Amino acid sequence: MSLAIPNGLDNTVERPGERAPLVLGDTTYHDITEAVCQVAERKPSVTWWLGFLVSFILLQWFGFCIAYLLYTGVGVWGNRNPVFWGWPIVNFVFWVGIGHAGTLISAILYLFRQEWRTSINRAAEAMTIFAVACAGTFPGIHVGRAWLAFWLAPYPSLNLWMWPQFRSPLLWDVFAVSTYGTVSLLFWYMGMVPDLATFRDRSKNKWRRMAYGILALGWSGSSRHWMRYEKAYALLAAFAAPLVLSVHTIVSFDFAVSQVPGWHTTIFPPYFVAGAIFSGFAMVLTLMIPARTILGLEKLITLRHLENMCKIILATGSIVGLAYGTEFFIAWYGQVEAEKFAFVNRALGPYWWAYWIMVTCNVISPQLFWFKKIRSTPWIIVVVCIFVNIGMWFERFVITITSLSRDYLPSAWAYFSPTWVDWSMLIGSFGLFFTLFLLFCRLLPIINMAETKATLAKQYHMSHDHAAGEGH
Amino acid sequence: MSEHAAPAIKPANDPAFKLPASLASLQLPLLAGGLLLLLVGFGLAYSNAAKIGFSAYLVSFIYCLTLSIGCLFFVIVQHLVRAGWSVVVRRIAELFMIMIVPLAVLFIPVLVATWMSNGLYIWTLDGWMTETVGVDPEIWKAKSGWLDPGWFTIRSLIYFAVYIGLAVFYYRGSTLQDETGQKSATEKLQYWAGPAAMLFALTTTFAAFDWVMSLAPMWFSTMFGVYMFAGAILAAHCVICLFSYLMQRCGAMRDEVTVEHYHDLGKLIFGFTFFWTYISFSQYLLIWYGNIPEETEWFWIRQTNGWGSLSVVIILFHWIVPFMGTLSRHVRRRPWAMAAWSGYLLVMHFIDVFWMIMPEAHQGITESITAVGVAGAILCGVGMLALMVGLVLSLAGNTKLLPVRDPRLGESLAFENI
Amino acid sequence: MSQDKDKIVKGIVAEFETVDTLMDACRTVRDSGYKKTDAFTPFPVHGIDTALGIKPTILPWLCLFGGMAGTGTAIAMQWWMNGIDYKYIISGKPFVSFPAFMPVAFELTILFASFAAFFGMWALNKLPRYSNPMFTDPRFDRVTDDRFFLYIDATDEKYNFAEVEKLMGDAGSAYIQPVVEDDSPKQVPRFIFMVWMLVAGLSAIPLLAVLKMRLTRSELPRFHVFFDMDFSPAKDAQHATTLFADSRTMRDDVEGTIYRGQYSEEIVSGKKVAASATVDDLRFVSRFDDEALSAAGGDRDPGGLSDEAKVELDADKKDPDNKESDQKDSAGSDAGNAGSASPDSGDAGAQPPIPDDQWLSEIPLTVDRAFIEKGKEQFNIYCAVCHGRNGSGQGLVHERARKILSQWWVPPSSLHQKSLYRDKYPDGKMFGTITYGVRKMPGYAAQIKVQDRWAIVAYIRALQETRRGSLDDVPADLRADIESAKLEAEARLKEEAEKQKKKDNATEAQK
Repeated sequence: MSLAIPNGLDNTVERPGERAPLVLGDTTYHDITEAVCQVAERKPSVTWWLGFLVSFILLQWFGFCIAYLLYTGVGVWGNRNPVFWGWPIVNFVFWVGIGHAGTLISAILYLFRQEWRTSINRAAEAMTIFAVACAGTFPGIHVGRAWLAFWLAPYPSLNLWMWPQFRSPLLWDVFAVSTYGTVSLLFWYMGMVPDLATFRDRSKNKWRRMAYGILALGWSGSSRHWMRYEKAYALLAAFAAPLVLSVHTIVSFDFAVSQVPGWHTTIFPPYFVAGAIFSGFAMVLTLMIPARTILGLEKLITLRHLENMCKIILATGSIVGLAYGTEFFIAWYGQVEAEKFAFVNRALGPYWWAYWIMVTCNVISPQLFWFKKIRSTPWIIVVVCIFVNIGMWFERFVITITSLSRDYLPSAWAYFSPTWVDWSMLIGSFGLFFTLFLLFCRLLPIINMAETKATLAKQYHMSHDHAAGEGH
Repeated sequence: MSEHAAPAIKPANDPAFKLPASLASLQLPLLAGGLLLLLVGFGLAYSNAAKIGFSAYLVSFIYCLTLSIGCLFFVIVQHLVRAGWSVVVRRIAELFMIMIVPLAVLFIPVLVATWMSNGLYIWTLDGWMTETVGVDPEIWKAKSGWLDPGWFTIRSLIYFAVYIGLAVFYYRGSTLQDETGQKSATEKLQYWAGPAAMLFALTTTFAAFDWVMSLAPMWFSTMFGVYMFAGAILAAHCVICLFSYLMQRCGAMRDEVTVEHYHDLGKLIFGFTFFWTYISFSQYLLIWYGNIPEETEWFWIRQTNGWGSLSVVIILFHWIVPFMGTLSRHVRRRPWAMAAWSGYLLVMHFIDVFWMIMPEAHQGITESITAVGVAGAILCGVGMLALMVGLVLSLAGNTKLLPVRDPRLGESLAFENI
Repeated sequence: MSQDKDKIVKGIVAEFETVDTLMDACRTVRDSGYKKTDAFTPFPVHGIDTALGIKPTILPWLCLFGGMAGTGTAIAMQWWMNGIDYKYIISGKPFVSFPAFMPVAFELTILFASFAAFFGMWALNKLPRYSNPMFTDPRFDRVTDDRFFLYIDATDEKYNFAEVEKLMGDAGSAYIQPVVEDDSPKQVPRFIFMVWMLVAGLSAIPLLAVLKMRLTRSELPRFHVFFDMDFSPAKDAQHATTLFADSRTMRDDVEGTIYRGQYSEEIVSGKKVAASATVDDLRFVSRFDDEALSAAGGDRDPGGLSDEAKVELDADKKDPDNKESDQKDSAGSDAGNAGSASPDSGDAGAQPPIPDDQWLSEIPLTVDRAFIEKGKEQFNIYCAVCHGRNGSGQGLVHERARKILSQWWVPPSSLHQKSLYRDKYPDGKMFGTITYGVRKMPGYAAQIKVQDRWAIVAYIRALQETRRGSLDDVPADLRADIESAKLEAEARLKEEAEKQKKKDNATEAQK
């Protein structure tokens, strides 16, 4: 079996009545601290520098493209009549979707007491914030005069004498995404404070100690503090869980409240949410599997963690598949000419290739996770997850572009072609994402040490009970 | 670590796992009274109009069906996620889940009505859609291929085959384990939980389209299956909570189901109230905002002619009141309060089902729904519920009230909320 | 310990190695009656609050109020902004639409409740607090790693160092130490202030600049950030350009462009204009146009119909065959219908606003085959829907309108009535009718180009000719085609009539 497990114990098998360990090996509390802190304390490896360099160059390219766009105008994109929502919106929805896994892992899995979340939630939350940052860029630069984007905020303006229109779903989006970004940031930071205190207490360097000391807010680990902290954490989780549902729901409203064939369908809210979770988990796995190997965290991010995430990908992928099917069925059942056409056009029209890439990657490829062998082989997981990411990008492409390029007015039909700026911005946004993520790996605790220790404590406790039970 | 010790696992033949005599004695009255009420209710509604009679019957059938399939989904999910906490209340869900078998028999009147002209579904009335409603004959020709009594019957049989297959598989697996105590039984149930959940989702989506959505044949909403499911899963948690409380009040499983389980069920009830609201609001918002005549028709009927007040009742009392009521941890940690809220939500779920089905009953008939018709529908619902509960009790008399030899029983007993 | 002697002792701390020993110690300390105690752990220990007797927090209440404030703010804000202060119609929704206000209300509820949870928690914990006596002991650094500490405050009623030391020792602690005051300087280092002030000062500059711009008036021209958005790079007539090889900005007209005055007034108006017409005459002509327009469009009600129209209406009512003939193949029945529909009373008694002799009697453009073909195309696009493709007045609109509003429907004229032949109805007048409309017929000046209107007139004349001409009018080389087509049509009609007869017989037999 899998040789990656240090003590030879396969924790992907869980007999009923027992719970498989989530922290492997003869690990102590101190081992956890060491394992996590060494990532940030030792000198960065060549791999890290290489990755950072590439990401940073891409980020600069992204910045250049944005500057070029602002200076020249949105004509540099491929957005033409009738496809006014082209790649920027596809990228926006794609990144917001990625940003759902973090809060889902932190909040919903926390509420469902899924303890395996502890060693992956920190990195996933960080990814959430970085993905939301990438996502927020696109509608920001898509408004044409980006320097006037603040007009979206309901502030008493002295020369406009206007208020934003709250009956427009695009404004709901502004509130949803900014609330989501804010709450995710609070949640992430709050969860990090005890670990920042660990960093502070381990720092040898005065400046480092001061920097982490300020960020740790004087955390001392007092039980009274822990009690309120845990309460606040549970409350924030309870708020973030419906929030995470609402964000992609509202993104789906952007499409579904309109009357464009293929957009106006009631399944969109749950289907978008399932898709978002699906893509988010795929991105978490794509990043965490290489990271755990490179950073030496196999004892903490075990095969069991990976397997559970694969199962969630399988479940959400199947929900997405069911939604595709339901949409098709209802388009036929409803017998509305435009809807029927929209769906036939998706599958067989000029963008048939995008549609079938989407179906293959999103519905068919995750079905591989029915096999345990595949669920517990890290490199295959990565491959499948990359396919899922591609598929989810294409899902947004199919929804946005096929519907717009052929809606009610056949004389306005056109084929959308992206420009080099579109391509550059998609690739450049990955530069932003990876730059932030690589900096995060170096500067902040990438695994929630406090929670992992609590899991370990419970594991000790259980094995202690077990031993005692056998003694009787 | 905790201050109090977890209750010990009692032997399988402990009297705490047997149906209390006080409840066992209710079986016959419930069965007989339920049948009587069902017939009287159906008769009353039928006297209003034949179609109203069958619509009232469909309301009670869908109501009981949602309880049953909600419990089926609950059981499948517990196995799917290898849940430990829920073992002590799982048998109650299993008892309601297996009620899908008698419900298949109770579906026969619906099938009979399907073969009658406008007995229940307006699409069975020849020429109505094309001539009176004015649907393009071409379009109607395509649709009537799907909405055809024969094909409808075959599909219904398929849905029941799937539901019964799943229910029997999980029920037998669990009750057999009471005898053998084999861990492999749990493993087998877990192994099939994934495919079972997918099959369930597919079946429920289409069953909702066929049995309820096709009452308005030209209306469509891709969300409708999810909407039905949201109501069902909420009702299932309420039934489990209420029944555990009743059993405990009557003396069974007093030590096993603790305040922690009520707290957890309370959280789930709260969460699913929110989920139901989310789904129904999204469905409404999208149709309201899009404002396309084909789609708004459904809500328009429910906003006019007195149905509007019922819609407001649902918004206030199916969403805001229970949402505020179960928000507090103090409420959720009081078994009697959670039992009361569960009973309340079960009533609201009935109103929800009533609101889904009855406004379509006037189509193609001259009579409008009178107080007699409404009373008939309510009696029908009470009757069929009583019948179902009677069957649950008679089945419960022959089995244990919780999965006594489930390998995770100990974990469930020791369960504590954070 | 020696160096700590002169410092104030705040309490005593004991180190433990496992959760279980800490928990036991906590219970012992609590049971011994100590109140001002605290435990320090690297992770939250479940059950320690009861072991220490810590009271639950009021945080949930803060969140409830935060959430309610969020909902209230959102609803009030949206109500005021869209319902009262700035009413603007968006996609036909009411100004105050609660379904549309729900998403923002929900988001703000969550946002405010989350703020309450986050900031409330730090406030209740009295954090950030950077100076803490616990941090004086370097060994305490391990509290965030793998050690557990129990602390008893010196102000506790039962506090006694020796007693506590014994208690802790019994509970299994190997390291017991007094906690002393943090005597590090209380003042924040100067450079932090300096940096802080510098950052604050720098960040205020843009704000101040904006404020200054807002509050002062300037005589200077506006500063243009995006020059080409403020000033379009459009060229003036005499500018040179690099876009074209000849460097001229002014370009020739696109082929087919019609400039004002390209057509003579006659062609445009359809009326005779004296060759020597002055500008004033032309003005007269255009004034004339207006009169004609009001005369033609003014009397739309049937009572005010011209005699011609009345006659047409009457004829329609009188003709009982009309309905049937409508449903039959119109080609066959047209001739009789047209004949009966327009008795040759013509417009003798009518008072046309413009005398017929003022209209051009002939089409002022060259009429050739291509011209008539063009007219046919345009006629079939614009005219045939009412007048029928053969000009009989039985177009699709007419057919449908008869069915649904036969009471009020004014049928379109048949173009084959004699009153519309060239001798009674000059070409110019027909052009004018197309241009300005007549009775129910609207003017088509906006839709059909000038030449095309003349082309339609030419085509109508050709159509009329089909009903009055004889085979002799047709060029010899085309006669054979027409003959064969006629025979074919006759045969088909006969066949169809027989079929119909059989069918009728069959249905009768069935009855």
